[in-house]
Amino acid sequence: MSTSRDDFGIAIRSALLQRGTRQKFSLFFLITLAAIIFFLDIKNFTIISVSKNIINDAIYRLVNVANLPVNLFSTAGKTTNEIFFTFQENKKLKEELSELRAKNFQVEFLSNQNKNLRKTLESDKDNSNEKTLAKVLLDKDSPYLKSIIINRGSNSGIAKGMPVIDGSYLVGKIVEVNYLSSRVLLLNDLNSRIPVTLGEEGAQAILTGKGGENPSLEYLPDQFIGQNDITVFTSGKDGIFVPGIPIGKTIIKDSKNFVKLFSQSSQLSFVTVQLLINSEEKF
Amino acid sequence: MANSFRKFKNSVLNSFPLILLYFLSISEIDTYFSSFFEILSFNLQIIIIYYWMLHEDTILGNGHIFLAGIINDVVVGLPLGSSAISYLVVSLVASYIKNVTVNFSLFTDWFTFLLAIFFSNLCFILLLNNFTNLLITYNEIFYNSFFYIFILSSFLGIFFNI
Repeated sequence: MSTSRDDFGIAIRSALLQRGTRQKFSLFFLITLAAIIFFLDIKNFTIISVSKNIINDAIYRLVNVANLPVNLFSTAGKTTNEIFFTFQENKKLKEELSELRAKNFQVEFLSNQNKNLRKTLESDKDNSNEKTLAKVLLDKDSPYLKSIIINRGSNSGIAKGMPVIDGSYLVGKIVEVNYLSSRVLLLNDLNSRIPVTLGEEGAQAILTGKGGENPSLEYLPDQFIGQNDITVFTSGKDGIFVPGIPIGKTIIKDSKNFVKLFSQSSQLSFVTVQLLINSEEKF
Repeated sequence: MANSFRKFKNSVLNSFPLILLYFLSISEIDTYFSSFFEILSFNLQIIIIYYWMLHEDTILGNGHIFLAGIINDVVVGLPLGSSAISYLVVSLVASYIKNVTVNFSLFTDWFTFLLAIFFSNLCFILLLNNFTNLLITYNEIFYNSFFYIFILSSFLGIFFNI
């Protein structure tokens, strides 16, 4: 019995401490080093934070270069696909354009009415915030975190918590800022929580990422009856996001309310970041 | 001339796993195929580390494994060191198995890989759950571990001619 325990001890000690012919460091040393880095990182030590920012910026640029061949293939595929469907899409767009022209007058009227009401209330934030365009450097899909990297950082005035928009639709918020790059937490990430409003009665809810494709609506009013195809907007109740940014449409699955997002996170190339003042929140 | 070409070819072939490990860590090529099949995901880096640490540990150095883990953490957005520890634990299990095993077979590789994934994921979950505010889905990790087993057998079949 004691012999087998000795054997185990010898084998594990050998695996931990012995260095092979081309090994410069022992496993024990590297595991300890990784653990030290991990704990320093989660405790937000200044030295680690500064070094991490520099490492992040350097690696994101490197990743961008490394992905050029991969992106070339994917872009070629997309372009071919687009060419095939151009005629069909053109026809559809013409129809949509005529519909939108008809709606335009109505929108103008409602927009003016909305502005006047906001002036009367004097409580809402001004929507005319500054925006900055950013290129998506990396959108590696991971089973753990749903996030993308953009090529704008603190040098462009970006801060934690700022909303990130694709066209007119919300895609997520900034959770990590480096000098030249930032990380955007997508709406479907398990850690994402956004206050939203929906329906004619303006029901309030929290959009909660589930890790899958469609985030769910939680903390809905007790009397709320779920329906498909209701548009979900940001409510701005957190005091960070501008109210009224469209997010997606509701879908009911197994009597639970989910949201089908307008913006597909896998299709992002460029996004805009709303540069809000005092947007920083604690994570 | 022929001799130097052969040397160059050998050095490229020997460096292939290392290049692949770094490339997978930094590239957008991911091994999470949710668009094809919702639960299909596996981490090819772990399979590479396990296979080469078990069969040819002179090719992958522990330092490179550590560095690939740190790069992966930066790219994925996890706290620095979490993937590095996870990868090094796989390397540790592979080194231990190498020390105590005389004859390798598909079954021993397969079975011992279960231990490697178990300890690697255990460390990963313990670190993220107890020391960070990050939420992770256990289902994803379970599916990830499940698919490793099948992928490893094909991997062994290709490289080990079993």
